[in-house]
Amino acid sequence: MNLRARFMSMSLRLKFILPIAAMLVVSMLAISSYLVRRQSESFRHELEVTGETMVRVLAIDAESGVLFGSKYDLEELLKAPLQFDVVTYATIKSIDGSVLAQIGDSAKASAGIEPTQDGCLGDSCHEFVYTTAADGNEYLVICSPIVTVKRAVSRENLGLTGGLGNTLNSGATTEIIGHIEMGLSLQHVNRSILEAKIASYFLTAIIVIGTILMLTFIVGVVVRPVTRLVKVTDRVSHGDLDVKVEINQTDEIGHLARTFNNMIESLRQSRVEIERYNKTLEEKIIERTQQLEEAQAQLIQSEKMGAIGQLAAGVAHELNNPLGGILGYAQFTLEKLQKNVPEKTSNKEIQSYIRYVSDIETQARRCKTIVQNLLRFSRSSRTVEFDDVDVNKTIEETLTFVGHQLHLNQIELETVLDANLPHIQGNAGQLQQVFTNLIINAMHASSSGSTIMVTSRFSPALGEFGGTVELSFIDHGTGIKEENLKRIFEPFFTTKEVGKGTGLGLSVSYGIIKEHGGEISVQSTVGKGTTFTIVLPIQKPDPESDKEQKQRFSFGVR
Amino acid sequence: MSEARKTILVVDDEEIIRDFLSEVLEDYAISLASDGDEAIEKIRTHNFDLVITDLRMPRVSGEEVVRFTRDTYPGSKVIVISGYSSLATVSQTVQSGACAFLAKPFSIKELLQSVEHALQDRTGN
Repeated sequence: MNLRARFMSMSLRLKFILPIAAMLVVSMLAISSYLVRRQSESFRHELEVTGETMVRVLAIDAESGVLFGSKYDLEELLKAPLQFDVVTYATIKSIDGSVLAQIGDSAKASAGIEPTQDGCLGDSCHEFVYTTAADGNEYLVICSPIVTVKRAVSRENLGLTGGLGNTLNSGATTEIIGHIEMGLSLQHVNRSILEAKIASYFLTAIIVIGTILMLTFIVGVVVRPVTRLVKVTDRVSHGDLDVKVEINQTDEIGHLARTFNNMIESLRQSRVEIERYNKTLEEKIIERTQQLEEAQAQLIQSEKMGAIGQLAAGVAHELNNPLGGILGYAQFTLEKLQKNVPEKTSNKEIQSYIRYVSDIETQARRCKTIVQNLLRFSRSSRTVEFDDVDVNKTIEETLTFVGHQLHLNQIELETVLDANLPHIQGNAGQLQQVFTNLIINAMHASSSGSTIMVTSRFSPALGEFGGTVELSFIDHGTGIKEENLKRIFEPFFTTKEVGKGTGLGLSVSYGIIKEHGGEISVQSTVGKGTTFTIVLPIQKPDPESDKEQKQRFSFGVR
Repeated sequence: MSEARKTILVVDDEEIIRDFLSEVLEDYAISLASDGDEAIEKIRTHNFDLVITDLRMPRVSGEEVVRFTRDTYPGSKVIVISGYSSLATVSQTVQSGACAFLAKPFSIKELLQSVEHALQDRTGN
């Protein structure tokens, strides 16, 4: 189980090569050892046959030598086989064991056999003994009896004619008269076997190595693209989608690579798409958050303005009563002074009194204007009639009013008006009041020689939002400090010198634009100038939001 | 002369307005009332040629004074003076039967013109 797990965890290359190589080695070893063994047996068998043949021939030839006890003949006989390298020694012994003749070094085969009387009887008794000498060499010792034929009927016959077989067949008896023993060295045979073994194992090794090399190459060819594919998938899994599998094969792996490349491409495109969506989403969130913040700020501003308006309306109404008295008495006194000059009063004094009371009347009238503006700011829009308004025309009409003043202050006025500006639903008089106010403010902020620019632009409907008209009043004057920017639409807030402005112009303008369902905003940089932007809806504000507007701007008028 | 003098009732909770009006309209026989209750009492006992009344007053409002005058003496004229001026208020006042509306602060000229106009109409009647 453990082995299996280990195998399964191996690389593909090893999985292919290891089992095949192992099987190859085992089978090649089995085959070569079988062949070597066969060859070794064959060599030995050959030696045995050769040896036996020689021994038999010698045994036959030695018969007479033994019978006659001729040592010389026997030794001569033994010289012939000793010419062969393989023959180490040869000994002929009589039946009693005495050595009749010996040639060669019999000591090498000291473990040589002792031919037994019983064991070696009969003509077929040949003994083969393999023995290892003291020098470590192996020898084959062959022992064979020397036989003579005794014929009962013919004594003169010495058995030299006819041969052994005939002799036996003729019913004669055989007698062992001695033994011949020959020692054959196995050195040559063993060397040949060793050579065969070496050749065989060498061949096996070459085949195994060759096969493994070829297998490695083939497996490499198959596995390499897979390895490349694996590397690429690794990188892909780590998020790198800019890679590509470089395989130009047309087989299954090539197909897999192409499919994989397509998959990476799809993934990459999806990721790009997702990133794009994410970015868009982030931008939208930022944009919406900003819009929300602006809306919130405007809402707070509106609420604040509403509360201030309510307060202002109450104060304005209460002021009207004492103001009525002041203005009335001033006029009354003035009238009296002009009609009936009191006695004992010089003309000069009278003129002074008239001037004082005139001043009172003027200032009271100024108060009256302030209160009226204040009330207009807080007044319900119910009192205003809405109609079709050509905003461009209204701007041009405004310019005819303020043109003279601008000229006096040596200020140029430039207009960039959108000729395709649609009419809006609104009150031309009120809008004119706003435009006048903004232009006069710009004029006060500008130095002589500078230019004021008024632009109009049409923004068509977008989705659920209707079309709008956008107006800009741009001056290059002193600008408004940042801390004042938030307060400029508040009633009574003014940065002008005392007596120069009531601080109601912009708050009234704010109220009017709100009544039109529009918005007014300001951007300013100190020293560079100010831009007032007005956005007005083309359609009449719907009743719901109109109602809301009225609730916000209708205060205490009953 | 005294027979010819037209009678005017001035109704306002502000003393300065009452004083001012009585000064300006010295050619007429002026009666003063500082609130709606007092005004109604006076109207009940006297048929004034003209009633000049404020709208916002404690307890009984100017609107009630106008209505009472019109109901009691349909021939009497009423001028409304108010610090709370708006088109809606004016329209309301006219509907209730007043012949003029003066927004405070008004000029002497405006007042005299309105008074003369109102009394002329009454004489015409």
